[in-house]
Amino acid sequence: MDKSTIVCRCEEINIDEIESAINLGARTFNDIKRLTRCGMGPCQAKCCMNLVRQIISDKTGQPLHEIRPPRMRVPLGVTRMGALAGSQASSVTSVFGESTEEGETVHEEKL
Amino acid sequence: MHLTNHPVLGKDDRKTIQFYFNNKLLNAKEGQTIAAAIMANGIKKMGVSRKLQQSRGLFCGVGRCYSCFVTVDGLEHVLSCSTLVEEGMEVYSNLSDPDVRRGENEY
Amino acid sequence: MNTDLLIVGGGPAGLNAAYKAASNGLKTTVIDRWFTLGGQLNQQTQFYNNLPQHFENQRGYQLANYLIDRLRKLDVKILENHKMIGAYNNGSIGVTDGKSTFQVQAANVIMTTGAMEEPDIFPGWTLPGVMTAGAAQILINRERVLPGKRALILGSNNFALEVARQLNDCGVAVKGIVESRNELLSQNDELLCEVDIPVLLDSAIERAIGKGEVEKVYVNTDGIESVYDVDLICIAKGMTPIFEPFEIMSCDLTYQEKLGGWLPKYDSRFETTSPSVYIAGNAAGITNIGGILLTGEIAAASILEKSNAANSLKIEEEKKYLWGELYRIESAENPSALDARLDVIRNFHHETGIQLPVYLDSVFGGLTNG
Repeated sequence: MDKSTIVCRCEEINIDEIESAINLGARTFNDIKRLTRCGMGPCQAKCCMNLVRQIISDKTGQPLHEIRPPRMRVPLGVTRMGALAGSQASSVTSVFGESTEEGETVHEEKL
Repeated sequence: MHLTNHPVLGKDDRKTIQFYFNNKLLNAKEGQTIAAAIMANGIKKMGVSRKLQQSRGLFCGVGRCYSCFVTVDGLEHVLSCSTLVEEGMEVYSNLSDPDVRRGENEY
Repeated sequence: MNTDLLIVGGGPAGLNAAYKAASNGLKTTVIDRWFTLGGQLNQQTQFYNNLPQHFENQRGYQLANYLIDRLRKLDVKILENHKMIGAYNNGSIGVTDGKSTFQVQAANVIMTTGAMEEPDIFPGWTLPGVMTAGAAQILINRERVLPGKRALILGSNNFALEVARQLNDCGVAVKGIVESRNELLSQNDELLCEVDIPVLLDSAIERAIGKGEVEKVYVNTDGIESVYDVDLICIAKGMTPIFEPFEIMSCDLTYQEKLGGWLPKYDSRFETTSPSVYIAGNAAGITNIGGILLTGEIAAASILEKSNAANSLKIEEEKKYLWGELYRIESAENPSALDARLDVIRNFHHETGIQLPVYLDSVFGGLTNG
């Protein structure tokens, strides 16, 4: 297929850019994310997940069951800052601000 | 095009409402999503991509691919496939990233 | 907010699980990110003739309405337009309605996140007018909008043929079903009887072009190029389970090609590696409507069993029946997926050293001892 074909619709990363990342040593989806931004747009790799895994498999010979999907992170889905931070100060719990144990300073989202 | 007579579901008796897409007054059916209402008027392009400015429209239809972003009543990056159209709604194509420096109390 | 059982996803699996739990006295909450319940069942107009015995055979959207109406009669908290966006260290789930975010603390969670359609790519696949078969189906059957006048379908699985037929019946001229192999993937080719839908085997879409939307598509059949003047391409490559909410809940994943790819590990109760987090429906492996309904019900029954909310002998009898139905329907309609599902469960029990329940011997057969 034409190597300029888009794989990641959001960040507009094509086959050639992904293969170049693999040539540079990328072996996992997370490697490719870091090198190209593939899978880092608004859909967060929902569309390109298995397309990229297939390209890694074709290019490196790794079987698909050994190629993990990229790390999924919160918030799941596009969420407005106001919904996270809480625009109605009294009633809102923020995902970033609640449930922190006493003395703990790190935010507690599970990554 | 509106499918007025469905082979299984029969006639569509939902109320007709009106909304604006890029300042043009269009008809929609009450209960339709914005994406469907736009497409019912023969328009497939909802906006352009960020980097290459290529045309984008409805792709997954279920709120996961984020290809169908539009601006609704001033609020940017609204998913047109998962938001219901409303009477008098002002919808614009998604043509660029939001302007983050705009006044915070605007909405 | 506190609840005995939180169900994430109000599609058929979630609705059926919620009914089972709530009708046995569990305080149940259902959240769904969409503005209506029913999930993807809402736009299924095809007739289901092999539902579990305790359901009447009917069309998909009718079944959705039945499941929703039945649930609304019970004391269940239903939150549409609410989506799970994360998890907290204390095990509670972060839910937003788009305006604010709150925590839901649930003794048990069943996540019925469903599946997503896989894309297939070719130059021009990002153009408006190229969409998943599911999106086209939503447009005709839920939105009552024709997505185009002339269409090509890319892929030939059951869903591809169903959507091709439905588009045809709604007045879209389906110019071809494009399949790269030398035979249709679906055995259900009676769907193409009495309609003029050409099947293009050994074929691939080379590229789609058009100004702002699809206008022309070049198809390569065995080295010979043909041009199609179509304004709609429906991609039907198959489905893959939606697992990211499970990853956030620290559930271990496994890979099963026949179930659609990566998915959470689960045991015979449909509990994942995260205690009290259950799975059902297409998220637990791509299946048919019978499998979707039954896995939801088995997960809910397992929670009832654990919560002592129902007579344990009765629940065991019920689960035996539900598993029998699951086996009957999946072995008839999708035996390789059933084998993969049993593998997932068997592996889970093997890893944890917990015996499979004796009443499942007939389902898991002699293999459980082997």
